Amino acid sequence: MTFGFGLGAGLRALSAAQLGMRTAGNNVANANTPGYSRQRIELGSALPFGVAGNLQLGTGVEVRGISRLVDEGLERRLQYQLGLVGAAELDERRFTEIESIFGEPNNGLSTNFQGLFGALDQLRTDPADRSLRGGLIQAGKSIGQQFQLISQRMSDLGGSTFPEVQGLVRIVNQRTEAIAALNGQIMSAEANGSDANDLRDARAQHINEIGKLLDTRAIERSSGSVDLLVGGNLVVAGNRATQMRVGKDNDGNTEVLVGANTSGSEIREGKIAALLRQEQNGLPAYMTRVDDLAYNTILEWNRLHSTGMPGSGPFKSLTAAYGAVDGNGDGQIGDEFLSQAGFQFPVEQGELYISVTDETSGEVTRSRIDIDPNSMSLNDLAAEISNIDHLAATVDPTGRLRINSDSGYGFDFSPRLDPNPDGGTFGGINATVGSLSAGPYNLAAQTFPVQFTVDTGGGTPTTVQLEASDFNSTSAATTDELVAAINDDLGAVATAQNVGGRLVIQGAVGGASSELTLTNSGGTVLDDLNLPTVTAFGRDNPLKVTVEGTYEGTENDQFVFEPEIDGIIGQTDDLRVRVLDQQGNLVTTINVGRDYEAGTPVDLGNGIRVSFGPGSVSASAGQVFALDALNDSDTSDILVATGMNAFFLGSSAEDIEINGDLLDNPDRLSAGIGSASGDAGNLARLVDLRNRDISDLAANTMEDFYADLIGDIGFETAAARDTLEAQDQLLAQLQSDRESISGVNIDEEMVDMLKYQKSYEAAARFISVAQEMTDTLINLGR
Amino acid sequence: MPVRITQGMMYARALDNVQSGLFRYTQLQQEVASGRRINRPSDDPAAALRILPLRNDLKDLGQLSNNVALARETLNTGAASLEDASTVMARVRELTTQASNGTMNASDRRSIAAEVDQLLNQVLGIANSQRGDRFLFGGTENSSPPFSLQTVGGQTFATYNGNQDSLEVDVAPGVSTALNIPGDSIFMSRDREATVFFSDGSDTSTGAQPVGAGDTGVGFAQLDVTFGGLTNDAPSTVSDGSGASTAVGELSFTFTTGPDTLSIGGGPAIAIPATDQEFTTANGRTLNLTVTGPATPASGTFTATANMSLDGGATVTNISDFSKTSVQLNNSNDGSVLYVDPTNLAQTGSENVRYSGTFDVFTTLAELRDLLRNDKGLSDGQVRDRIAGLLPEVDNAHNSVLDGLREIGFRSSSMDVLQNRVEGLRISRTESLSLVEDTDIAASILELQRQDLSYQTALQVSARVLQTSLQGFLR
Repeated sequence: MTFGFGLGAGLRALSAAQLGMRTAGNNVANANTPGYSRQRIELGSALPFGVAGNLQLGTGVEVRGISRLVDEGLERRLQYQLGLVGAAELDERRFTEIESIFGEPNNGLSTNFQGLFGALDQLRTDPADRSLRGGLIQAGKSIGQQFQLISQRMSDLGGSTFPEVQGLVRIVNQRTEAIAALNGQIMSAEANGSDANDLRDARAQHINEIGKLLDTRAIERSSGSVDLLVGGNLVVAGNRATQMRVGKDNDGNTEVLVGANTSGSEIREGKIAALLRQEQNGLPAYMTRVDDLAYNTILEWNRLHSTGMPGSGPFKSLTAAYGAVDGNGDGQIGDEFLSQAGFQFPVEQGELYISVTDETSGEVTRSRIDIDPNSMSLNDLAAEISNIDHLAATVDPTGRLRINSDSGYGFDFSPRLDPNPDGGTFGGINATVGSLSAGPYNLAAQTFPVQFTVDTGGGTPTTVQLEASDFNSTSAATTDELVAAINDDLGAVATAQNVGGRLVIQGAVGGASSELTLTNSGGTVLDDLNLPTVTAFGRDNPLKVTVEGTYEGTENDQFVFEPEIDGIIGQTDDLRVRVLDQQGNLVTTINVGRDYEAGTPVDLGNGIRVSFGPGSVSASAGQVFALDALNDSDTSDILVATGMNAFFLGSSAEDIEINGDLLDNPDRLSAGIGSASGDAGNLARLVDLRNRDISDLAANTMEDFYADLIGDIGFETAAARDTLEAQDQLLAQLQSDRESISGVNIDEEMVDMLKYQKSYEAAARFISVAQEMTDTLINLGR
Repeated sequence: MPVRITQGMMYARALDNVQSGLFRYTQLQQEVASGRRINRPSDDPAAALRILPLRNDLKDLGQLSNNVALARETLNTGAASLEDASTVMARVRELTTQASNGTMNASDRRSIAAEVDQLLNQVLGIANSQRGDRFLFGGTENSSPPFSLQTVGGQTFATYNGNQDSLEVDVAPGVSTALNIPGDSIFMSRDREATVFFSDGSDTSTGAQPVGAGDTGVGFAQLDVTFGGLTNDAPSTVSDGSGASTAVGELSFTFTTGPDTLSIGGGPAIAIPATDQEFTTANGRTLNLTVTGPATPASGTFTATANMSLDGGATVTNISDFSKTSVQLNNSNDGSVLYVDPTNLAQTGSENVRYSGTFDVFTTLAELRDLLRNDKGLSDGQVRDRIAGLLPEVDNAHNSVLDGLREIGFRSSSMDVLQNRVEGLRISRTESLSLVEDTDIAASILELQRQDLSYQTALQVSARVLQTSLQGFLR
């Protein structure tokens, strides 16, 4: 050691102060750089050396390094929080969008439902009014459009997931590339033991940005590089990055794949995770509910509309809106069972009633077709319809059912009451004998074959023979089996028929001179059949029974009318007609005796009014007639399934629309049940629909179901907003914490700068003094 | 150790303060400007759930209010029509009283007939009155006139083409009312009593009796009884002659031989064989027969059948069994039915039938007009008697119109009560809705001002704080 005045220590102090100044300068310069961590030079005293025995002399200051002020734990929490905030931001944005798609509470579907039912109420005041009919049809059109708009915008929103994720993954890829590159630089920079502070800051910043989009796991290696894992897959290893890509899984949902992987990586946090969650659960759940609402709206409306009476009266020709599909792939349409014919609405086991109206006489004939979707094809149905007089049904090449009526006839599916229900077995001119009770009859006591004779007066009586084989079970011989067996033997003399379950036999000739007598011929089968053995006479003048009104019961029923005694309408004392329901229970008794004015309607108390014209009736001969009282004339839903006389077409929110036929021809709107121009019976049923709890809509009314949906969207949106706010606050807190540790305080740096400036000045002064001392020493030697 | 504060933190805090202030500020601005506290469901999901049904209720009540107005208007139109009808009937009563007055001669009556005819058309017009395109008194069959008048075989009667259904509209929650009264209960109301046969002096009593129940005819009718030929229980040598006969029913006969004679019904014995010979019974009835000779048994009874007709011979019912107590006769003119007891029927001729209590507005006026015209050539006395007999029927018809008027008036007045109720409900619903969804303007404006103040404060404080730095104090 020469001179020994510490010039070396002074030099070190100068350079330390300079470094300190530069670090402060760097801090100030990067005060606003995102992710920048403030740096500090680490000073220590240089190694001392021994002088003059045991004295140790310091050799000045030593710069040990420049360190970043970072709390690694905090950094990790911050990164995680960024992921949460990213997801919350996206959720909030999506829900807000969904909310605006529905447009409630001011102009959404609720307004359309209100409009539809409002138009219904208005039309009810004058069902024949053209402009009001148009109003209802337009309201139907609007609600269809609104449903479609919601569906369209929801599916647009769902469809935007893929490109959005793609964009985000592109950013992730750029960042992982950058991280890999930084890893390389850091490794080589730190290989010689120094800290690559700024590079680390940059890398941390990239990792944070990725954290906003998806959750990653960062593992720091001893080399200073960081490996990055996404859902367990390595995307950054050392200085190499693996590209991520976006694909679709088997369900059509968006997925994120790493490298050459074929299955998607699990992503739990960040914007991408939120997008994927929404696509899979959020949006489809809402869409399902909207679709359910549309489906049930169509189903319930069409059920009622299809069985209404068009304003223009019974149909001449009607074509289904939907065709059957070739379900079994045999190239034939219409031959598969109805359950496999590809209809959007299921065909149920049930019955369809078709009424044919003779336009000249106004006479209505109602036929019933039993439909079993698992054993009946559309072709079978067409054949059954064609079996009805004056109707012809075909299945066209597109699988659509088409029904036409003969000229002078019309048909409809309305549950209206048959205005002339008596087919002649009650007030007809032919001699008639009817059973006093309804079938099935217990014939088990008879020894088969058993016979009885039918005598129509003059000539040999006809013998009817019943075999045990005529019946499925002789202890429960059905009326239909009996009718078939008896008609086989009767020939042209008389006919047997089923009237409301009762076996009725009627002579072929009319008039007061005609007669009919049934007699047991070995055996007592007539007793078991409860058929009277009196001689019944025909009449010169038919008794006319007329029915009007609308049946108000909720179940389909069949009423049987029978006189209590023999007598003349309006003349015989205590002449009453009993009305029995399908179960045989007494509904009411109508007085048609002395105080009754023939032709006056009598209210049965269920919306049905019956009037009896002048004439005579016979209880002893078992005269009877039956009246179908229908609430639902199509319990099979075949009309809904095939789209006959539909109000809405489609089956979901995506395709619901008003039936175009109605737009073209508002007269087809089925406002009534009966054919009177002011009949609003069907409108009344539709009005009731508004307050009906529909089981498929979680036992809600249509509007309540929708209100619940809106409520849920509102709650979820509000919750998403609250979550975002809370997460944001948490993030702010963490950022504040980070800032507190790693942020640059300009004032602090100013103080540091002053400190280093003074230190530099002092060190310079020290060198100057040391130099003077050296000079003094040199000069001493001269 | 206190938290280290950096400029970055201050900037962030300042930005946050300013932004959140601004957000709340714009939110309040929207609430105040739109007047609504809830502009999307998430603003207050629970309240949004209440808004939808409340709005539905409100719209429904609006519709009900319209319906009540419509019902009142329609019912008032109906009431006005029935008042007119009542005026017509009052005038008809006046004319009826006048016409039954003994001082009237045939030409006086004819001039009254002209007025009655006019009144008949007037009342038909009233019964077919419309509101807009819709007929008021046809039930739901309201696009075509419900009543039409027909005259067949000199008999005028009305047909009701409407139905008994009512046009129901909702007028309050759970309350509906019928806009109409089916017209047949007003204009064709009947209170049928036993049918009677009466004599006006010009006819011969046939012995036929009305059964008195089960009939459906209205007003007056004429029953003609003519000879309908012999049945096969007549002696083989006896057959119808070509001349007219007045005897019907069961007749006794006695043959004598050498000289061969025949006596019918205890009348004089007349030589046979004879062609188209008139036999007379002990009570003066005649029978035109061709008899070829005696037959065995020499005495007994046989039946001369009767042809009965209500429509001048268009529909004929032949009676051969005179033991039946009730025989149905059909009138093809109006499709009505009359039951006759033929047990005492003995002679051809005609009966005047009066379906008591069945004179509805139209029948009464038509009968009155026809009587006043007297196309049948009745005597003055008969005309007066018959017209006087119509007076109670006129009153019945008038009462039925008044009943309808009362019913409609009652319904119309109940609309006033309902209108008040619906309006009351509307106000309360509007209030509820307003409570839920409307902005409390006063509170919101105060809040807006407070937010304005705190926003400005935030700006000022930020500006002040961000300016301060050590830099400013060095040098």
